[in-house]
Amino acid sequence: MTAPSSDLDSHLGVPAETGEPSEAPGAVVSRSPLQLAARRFLKDKLSMASLIVVLLFFIAAVVAPFAVKFGWIDPLSSNQDLLDEFGLPIGDWGGISGDHWLGIEPGIGRDALARLWYGTTFSLAIAISATIVAMVIGVVAGIVSGAAGGWVDVIIGRIIDLTLAFPQTLMLLALSSVGLAFIHQTLGVPNGNPTAAVYVIVVLGLFGWTGIARIVRGQVLSLREREFVQAAQMIGASRRRIYFKEILPNLWAPILVTFTLMMPAFVSAEAALSFLGVGISAPTPTLGNVLTDALRYADSAFLYFFIPAFMIATLVVCFNLLGDGLRDALDPKADR
Amino acid sequence: MGMKLRKALAVASASVLGLSLAACGGGDSDGSGGGSGDVEGTKGGTLYYLQHFPFEASDPQRIYYGVQLANWRRVFYRGLLAFPMSEDAEVGTTPVPDLATDTGTSSEGGKVWKFTLKDGVKWEDGSDITCEDVQYGTSRVFANDVIIGGPNYTLSYIDVKDYPGPYKATPEQQAAFEDAVSCDGKTITFRFNKPWADFPQAIAGMMMTDPYKKSFDEGEKSQWKVLSNGPYKIEGGKWDKNKGATLVRNDQYDPATDDPEQLRLALPDKIEWQIDPSDTAGELFNDRLIKDAGNDQYAITTARVAPPQFPQITGAVEDRYESVLSPYNSYLVPNHKKITDVNVRKALAVSLNLNGYVKALGGERVGEPGETIVNPGVSGAQDNPAFSEDNDNNGDPEAAKALLAEAGVKTPYPIKLAYQKSPTTDKAMAIVKESWDAAGFKVTLEGLSDTYYDVIAQPDKDVDVMWAGWGADWPSMMTVLPPLFDSRPNVSSTTCGNDYGCYQNDEFEALIDKAANSSDIEEQVGFLQEADKVLGEQYAYIPLEVSKFNWLRGSKVTGFATTPASSAYPEIGLIGVQN
Repeated sequence: MTAPSSDLDSHLGVPAETGEPSEAPGAVVSRSPLQLAARRFLKDKLSMASLIVVLLFFIAAVVAPFAVKFGWIDPLSSNQDLLDEFGLPIGDWGGISGDHWLGIEPGIGRDALARLWYGTTFSLAIAISATIVAMVIGVVAGIVSGAAGGWVDVIIGRIIDLTLAFPQTLMLLALSSVGLAFIHQTLGVPNGNPTAAVYVIVVLGLFGWTGIARIVRGQVLSLREREFVQAAQMIGASRRRIYFKEILPNLWAPILVTFTLMMPAFVSAEAALSFLGVGISAPTPTLGNVLTDALRYADSAFLYFFIPAFMIATLVVCFNLLGDGLRDALDPKADR
Repeated sequence: MGMKLRKALAVASASVLGLSLAACGGGDSDGSGGGSGDVEGTKGGTLYYLQHFPFEASDPQRIYYGVQLANWRRVFYRGLLAFPMSEDAEVGTTPVPDLATDTGTSSEGGKVWKFTLKDGVKWEDGSDITCEDVQYGTSRVFANDVIIGGPNYTLSYIDVKDYPGPYKATPEQQAAFEDAVSCDGKTITFRFNKPWADFPQAIAGMMMTDPYKKSFDEGEKSQWKVLSNGPYKIEGGKWDKNKGATLVRNDQYDPATDDPEQLRLALPDKIEWQIDPSDTAGELFNDRLIKDAGNDQYAITTARVAPPQFPQITGAVEDRYESVLSPYNSYLVPNHKKITDVNVRKALAVSLNLNGYVKALGGERVGEPGETIVNPGVSGAQDNPAFSEDNDNNGDPEAAKALLAEAGVKTPYPIKLAYQKSPTTDKAMAIVKESWDAAGFKVTLEGLSDTYYDVIAQPDKDVDVMWAGWGADWPSMMTVLPPLFDSRPNVSSTTCGNDYGCYQNDEFEALIDKAANSSDIEEQVGFLQEADKVLGEQYAYIPLEVSKFNWLRGSKVTGFATTPASSAYPEIGLIGVQN
């Protein structure tokens, strides 16, 4: 895609900031679309801030299992000696202390920070896996639908309509016992949390692919009339080659944007599912599990409720801002 | 037909447990003795009773809710016998005469029971209550295609075969029934096919043998009709399922035929019994009682205070608050098909951090550690030495490790622990897991949802230990131990019934047989105490908490108390309002 000229102009003569070899002043610098997009993105302070927050979440999520293993954080041990006779943390701020930076859980006294931190790992892992499942299904369906056209397009279109018409949350709950049994018995996944995780990933994926499929189909419809695709057809390239070697590489921008927008939706969905009792179960923490418990203490232990709620909100907002920023950078002609 | 505790959450949430079928039993009021303030109860005024769930019937032979059986015994339906309104566990679980002149005489080793009706007891329409009314009421329970929902223990005791109830019986069948339950003037005689030593307790709380006037009966259509013989009657005579009713004084009731001090003071002139069956009603009612405005000052409620509202119970509100032991106990059952070594089961009991478990449930307002499965409100309840001796309820991992070593099992010993899932039980069970893990077990938690009791009844279930809850139908251990641990009525090829651990023990079952065949209640209690000791030695169960009920009331309510007879719900017979 061509960058708008104004953008080019503004960078004329300015040494590149992205670490490319610098050019002599005044020389016309040639930049690939990716470089241009990166420059636009780097200039967007809000998006950069979101990116940093999101990266921090990811680093934290990756580090958490090691932190638990080496004993830096302990999300499972109780500290009931720090609770009063009604099970509420002793002290004004939900039991915040040098040992427990975010306080402790009412009733049982597990470290709130450790549970939140470790819970992020599970939540992000599930959200990423589900997003990947949805993206793969959606991209393949979109390309096939857009490129093949005709009755294939019609059928896939109807399937998308059908999927959209499904009451997702209800189906998730209604199918949970059947689905869990199937995953456990037929696929041989160990019972308990592994099964629950697979179920959530599969179901979120199976219901979440329609958006990206429609976007990709739209893109493909315009791409397939382009010269390089027609050229490939003329020289007799196979269909698969045209789909995945010629068309797919031109779709990475919408895919990346959709990915970053779908992730936060799935983080929230996982939290909601844990809230409804489907999904990873106690004592393993996830953001949803932590929030479910915290909700009951919104009155009596406000901080304990506020911190996980704030964290989930932060994560979701930052992902959304990041997605928006990426879209602006990659496709500056798009309307907002 | 026991009353199951549907959820541990029920202890915490105001609505669920009130909906399980409940009957007698109860707990002591701890602390203040249940008196409300210093004001002496006086006659008159209007009491508001806020109820957060609908009853299932207003017909005496259909009633099975504990709170309804207890309250309606005080306002509408007098029985042959009744439990006195005493907070003392001993007195409160000993029946006294109500419509009958004495507590009945038994003969033939407990197989025959005789009661004589008092003179001058009347229905609200002015007609006398006759022996035939008692006979007819008793017969209605047999029509279990018409009179649905009530307790039906009498079916297996009364010495009559193939009796379909009064609506469909042939003259011969009816004659056979009237032989088994016969009238002679004012004296009614019950003949049983086996001894029933705790029969007086069964009928004092439940309404299986309450009188019913034949000419008033319309079969199925009688579900919401009320013909009172107690101190109150319903304005209009019909109970509205989802609205309740206004109760006014019954002018045909003569306190001289009654024992008001012991059985029903009937202080308010009027009782506005208001039902709101919506999900949030319970919490709403307690919010209103906390605010204590307008008519809510004269109000009591069936909805227990939920733990999230506990922080608001301070200062003046605390004076209107009561935390009492409930008739419900929770316990853990080892699956005896999986954990066959008694030392392993003992190790589970010894290492359990019961104090921490109760604290995770919500602390001392929600329950207290139990030392037996038998609720303190059940007559003859005593600590089981297996759980009370050498056990401070903090859990002793070292002793448990020694037991596991003695058993010669490989550690960590895997345990799959099933329980009814809620955010509260998730935490409480995490404490159980922690204490067992420290003792050489490796616990996997299985939080299950709605069909919990169906799952743990399965004979081939893949769990090692299960949570369960129970409340006695009447304050006799006969309604606790046999229903839960006697394999004979419970275990078949397809289910383990209420004997969730599929426990079978000849010594225990022999003691149960002796108890069932006792003619004397003292003797029966003795056998049952022995039977509980056997269960303890075998570690057939591990007691968890005795749950507590938390009550609020309006500031102008007097005499607020809960008793064993009221199933730890408000004892409406004692409650009045300031004028």
